[in-house]
Amino acid sequence: MELFTPDFGLVFWMFVAFAVLFFILWKFAWPAIMNMVDKRAELIDKGVEYAQNAKEQLDNAQLQADNLMADARRQQAEILREADRLKSQIIEEAKADARKAAAKELDQAKLQIEQARKEAEQNIRDEVSAFALSIAQKVVRKQLGDSKAQTELVDTLLDEIETKN
Amino acid sequence: MKRLLIITSLIIASLFAAPALLAAQDDHKAEGESTFDPKEIIFDHLGDRYGWEVPFNHHHSIPLPVIVFASDGLHIFSSARIEHHQQYVDRGVTFVVPAEGPNEGKVVEMVDGQEVRPFDISITKNVCALFITLIVICAILLPLPRFYRRNGYKAPRKFLGAIEFLVEFVYNGVIKSILGDRTAKFAPFLLTVFFFIFVMNLLGLIVIFPGGANLTGNIAVTLVLAVLTFLVTNIFGTKHYWKEIFWPEVPLWLKFPIPIMPVIEIFGMFTKPAALTVRLFANMMGGHMIVIVLTLLIFIFAVFGEVVTGGTTVVSMLFSVFMLLIDVLVSFIQAYVFTMLSTIFISLAQVHEEHHEHESEAHQA
Repeated sequence: MELFTPDFGLVFWMFVAFAVLFFILWKFAWPAIMNMVDKRAELIDKGVEYAQNAKEQLDNAQLQADNLMADARRQQAEILREADRLKSQIIEEAKADARKAAAKELDQAKLQIEQARKEAEQNIRDEVSAFALSIAQKVVRKQLGDSKAQTELVDTLLDEIETKN
Repeated sequence: MKRLLIITSLIIASLFAAPALLAAQDDHKAEGESTFDPKEIIFDHLGDRYGWEVPFNHHHSIPLPVIVFASDGLHIFSSARIEHHQQYVDRGVTFVVPAEGPNEGKVVEMVDGQEVRPFDISITKNVCALFITLIVICAILLPLPRFYRRNGYKAPRKFLGAIEFLVEFVYNGVIKSILGDRTAKFAPFLLTVFFFIFVMNLLGLIVIFPGGANLTGNIAVTLVLAVLTFLVTNIFGTKHYWKEIFWPEVPLWLKFPIPIMPVIEIFGMFTKPAALTVRLFANMMGGHMIVIVLTLLIFIFAVFGEVVTGGTTVVSMLFSVFMLLIDVLVSFIQAYVFTMLSTIFISLAQVHEEHHEHESEAHQA
């Protein structure tokens, strides 16, 4: 059957046509098209990657800003706390100093008072002994030949005065 | 609704038109036209011919050059001169296309009353269709690089976009995914094959002049394509590929002293292109044949009267349109399958030692 036996003329022309077509396309079409298809695919891939990176970076930037903000707030709080602590410490110290100074002052005052009291005591003792002496002089003058009992009496009187002070 | 109305009216119109056409056909027959022979018509349409028939005219066709190397040298003349089996004398040599006999439908040289087939490279209908295919492919593919030169990375739209999509579909989907890093070497050949088959298939579906030639349904065309694939496969085959054929990794008794496996492998080398040839040829020829047979049914049933003819017309036409639409799909699928199988055959011949497992997997698939 003719349908199943290849005709030489057609085989010949088919070879020629294919060769010509292949040459034309190989020279002018396929390299350019394949190159473009590959390059565009690459470009799109790169674009997608770039966009993803950019988005990631943007997200990161937001996160970083948030972190920075939180840090700043924490630092602020810390500083405030520190300042507060410092303030109370200074006040404490000042109070302690004041207390110390006051105590010192008080001690000194006490010391002076004691001194004054001792001086006064001494004065009084001196005066009293002078008084007693004068009294005794008078008593002795009045009752010079009198008994020893009177002298004893004067002593006891003087002792009593001393203990009273 | 509107569409339905149009279809219905078309069907009704064809009910009336068909018998009228048949009556006209009968008139022709009365004038001495050859009697109706479905087999002859089918093979006439499937086969090749000198000159290209035009619709609604059986007496004239578009003349094409006949180129033959006869006993005394080159002869070139118009196919119009040998139409309807008439004899033509060119520089003392008589040429004729016999109506019957072993050389039926082929131009022969009459030498002492004997038919001698000359060396015939005429531009027949199929060859002419081949050239048209070539021009069409160039016309649709060459604007793409020009577009790229003008527009850089911009993607083409509309028609060029569709063409680029088709190229990309085959290039990325088939060739690149199968061949991998050896894509650049074989892609031009495979893409050319794909577009050649695809455009030939589609042009074959157009029933009038620039199309209508049953090119891919002709075994010569598919044979050439398969042989080209065979050549590319074996010329660029790696050392390992040849080793696998002549000294495959099987138990020794399978290859020595009787080389069973090598014989099978060598046989396989040739069955691959044979399968390619027959697959494409049979698919496309089958599609054409079904449409022709469906159309001829109208004329076969004509003897049963007008009502039967009208009914057959409607059914046949609907089926023909349906079949043609399927053929559009088949046109693409066959081009795709041919390209894919060629790619696989080529990739199988590109094996290296480390790719051995892949090869055996592909064999199983």
